Amino acid sequence: MGTNASRSKNGACCRGTPRLWIFALHSAVVLVLLTAGTAVAQPVQAKHAQVELLSRQSAFTPGRNLLLGVHFVLENGWHIYWINPGDSGQPPVFKWQLPPGFTAGEIQWPRPQRLQSSSQVVDYGYHDEVLLAVPVRVSPTASTSAAAQITLDTKWLICREVCLPDHAQLHLSLPLAASAPSQNAAAATLFAAAAQRMPKPLPATWRTRFNARKDDLILVVETGKPITSGEFFPLDPDQIENASPQRLEPTPAGARITLKKSDLLTKEITRLRGVLVLASGNAYLVEAPVTRP
Amino acid sequence: MREQHHSRLVFVLALLLALTASAVAVRVGEPAPDFTSVDSNGKSQHLADYKGKYVVLEWHNQGCPYTKKHYESGNMQRLQKEWTAKGVVWFTVISSAPGTQGFVTPTQENDYVKRMGAAPTAVLMDPSGTLGHLYAAKTTPQMFIIDPSGTLIYDGAIDDHPTSDQADIATSKNYVSTALTQALAGKAVTEPATRPYGCSVKYAN
Repeated sequence: MGTNASRSKNGACCRGTPRLWIFALHSAVVLVLLTAGTAVAQPVQAKHAQVELLSRQSAFTPGRNLLLGVHFVLENGWHIYWINPGDSGQPPVFKWQLPPGFTAGEIQWPRPQRLQSSSQVVDYGYHDEVLLAVPVRVSPTASTSAAAQITLDTKWLICREVCLPDHAQLHLSLPLAASAPSQNAAAATLFAAAAQRMPKPLPATWRTRFNARKDDLILVVETGKPITSGEFFPLDPDQIENASPQRLEPTPAGARITLKKSDLLTKEITRLRGVLVLASGNAYLVEAPVTRP
Repeated sequence: MREQHHSRLVFVLALLLALTASAVAVRVGEPAPDFTSVDSNGKSQHLADYKGKYVVLEWHNQGCPYTKKHYESGNMQRLQKEWTAKGVVWFTVISSAPGTQGFVTPTQENDYVKRMGAAPTAVLMDPSGTLGHLYAAKTTPQMFIIDPSGTLIYDGAIDDHPTSDQADIATSKNYVSTALTQALAGKAVTEPATRPYGCSVKYAN
């Protein structure tokens, strides 16, 4: 509008035109990006959350795997759950509808937070925001028609003081790229942050084991340096009392973390799997045998 | 100063209560802790008075989606009718603190029972959470079964589908029915403890 006004005032017909052209071109480019490269889909407004299906790649290529993810942005105070939800709650469930030749893998669960709702109830989950990534295998013979239409039906439970079950159908259209697909810049930061929060395998020099006591399981971690704070999240339910405080004692070579055995343990366990989160925020996958005195 | 003293005392008492509660946490195979609780009709209910009968405790919160799953489908009412008809005593317990989800007055609860066609023996009003902490109840629903000798024989979930979908009930294994069927036939309960699922019990902080 400003351009038009100044143009008539100056009587210089051609000064404004290139700018208009640039504007039109720019809009066209934006439009093309929005319609063709819909790797960034519209977020869905759900109960106390925004939910969006994202792709790490901006296009797909037969024979090259994809990383998709659901980004939950939660209202302040609300949370959703980890794969082991703890004492109450329920983890999100994904049901994919994929083109032929596409196979979805398991959800990659970032390290959870401890959510204590009373002296007796501790849950494991996520506050604020979380990206639940899922690797998708794309076979070399996958359809090479124009775009891959991806649909995800997802159900989850969102809680603050109260819990609300919710669900959404999310869509994503990924164009076909003849060569290697480019990275989706808009989503890259989110996927990188989620990868940072993923539990990593234990470094080769570290040692872990569980010592069984009458009522407790003691996680012994040896890293070569004292550990002053850390927390263990069991991957399987019914093994430790979630609400029981974990006691960490630093040792010269690491730490000992005392976990109370679950009242629901009907037979002795021989192995325990879980995620160890250290003060740095780094998370490690622990799977170790339980030894008896 | 007084105020500070007071809050410290409350804190210490709360701590003691928490410690006591976890120390006496119930265990399947051991005597069920005795209690006296007032029901929604103002009647005092004493567990020991029901020696010789099976007693079911059902933790309840009418606003919780998991409780709704079993009431809006009629599943809980069916269980209550089936087992009370066989002589089982069924106590629904409400441990929601005032101001939290599921807290109701006795009148509101009686209206709810009538509206839903529920058929418990009585509804125990536990806004202080005393009974909830005594049994270490974590979720709604959570189910306990006490045998005629006063021994706890089941503690856990209502069934094996930890969801809030009514559609799952048809394909679920109901742990309460299974345990009661086995116990009434003089058999041992094959799954005496399971992980309860649902909303956290809304205790006072």
